[in-house]
Amino acid sequence: MATDKELNDFLESVERRAFKQAAYAVRKDEAALDIVQDAMIKLAEKYGDKPPAELPMLFQRILQNTILDYFRREKVRNTWVSLFGGLGRRDDDDEEFDILASYEAEEGTTAAESSADQVERAQTLRLIEEEVQKLPARQREAFLMRYWQDMDVAETAEAMGCSEGSVKTHCSRATHALQRALQAKGIKL
Amino acid sequence: MNTDDINLAYKVRHALNETLDTLPASTVDRLAAARAAALARKKSDSASRAIPGTRQRQRQRRPLFDLEAGFASVFATPWVARTAAIVPLVAMVAGLVGVYQAEHEERVAEMADIDAAVMSDNLPLTAYIDHGFNAYLVQQQQQQPKRTQ
Repeated sequence: MATDKELNDFLESVERRAFKQAAYAVRKDEAALDIVQDAMIKLAEKYGDKPPAELPMLFQRILQNTILDYFRREKVRNTWVSLFGGLGRRDDDDEEFDILASYEAEEGTTAAESSADQVERAQTLRLIEEEVQKLPARQREAFLMRYWQDMDVAETAEAMGCSEGSVKTHCSRATHALQRALQAKGIKL
Repeated sequence: MNTDDINLAYKVRHALNETLDTLPASTVDRLAAARAAALARKKSDSASRAIPGTRQRQRQRRPLFDLEAGFASVFATPWVARTAAIVPLVAMVAGLVGVYQAEHEERVAEMADIDAAVMSDNLPLTAYIDHGFNAYLVQQQQQQPKRTQ
């Protein structure tokens, strides 16, 4: 069973990556922070007594489910907004959510700050982040879990609820898509 | 995946790791606060290693309708909350079935009345099927006033 310190160390080691991961998916920093907080609390409340070795997979699974919950809530909210949208003044913040919409950096967010730096490296990093964001959701999840969260194929498959073969396919496709996109933009890593 | 693909994947990983260092202070603080909140609600060791039967006894001691906590404590229990959501649906279905049954019985009673009227009438049943019968009735009605005059 994980002690308080072990759980704290684990959460500290994954919190920033989890935030970025959620931000790539939902494209809103505030929403990403809420998602990470929810995932942390769920992990601590329900799986706080699990061995430390199981925490990464459990946390990833919870994080992915929390992101999915967010999308479901957004869908329901947008349905009501579109139903009653004509009755009152249309609020710009309530624009219809579209996961495939082209990304635009929010004012004051990480992405906006990095673009404002005018440093070539920062710009390159931002472009890489954008390309990661543009990946299809499942490919991005598989890629980030395998190569960013250091999870093996079996753990990634369990967290994603799919077969190990699917994880390998997603990872391969994600890598090729990134390679093509970065080459097209003239980025050399 | 070949070696080039894996190399690219790890270079992307390196680039993504660099972005972690440039997170705004407010975001880092918020993440730390979220971590603290999570740790405060951690599943405790003692809870998971409780003596068998202890939770059962605790449940028995708690009254179902705690006046201090009101109904909130009752509806906070997951199975009660789930049941509470189902009850209105069940009531609605039962109501619809009841209305259907009542309508059906009323229709049956009306049909029985009509059947009884037809059976007790002097006219034979074949008269109602006869297409010329209606014309005969009209003719009879026209002749009746003449007779009364």
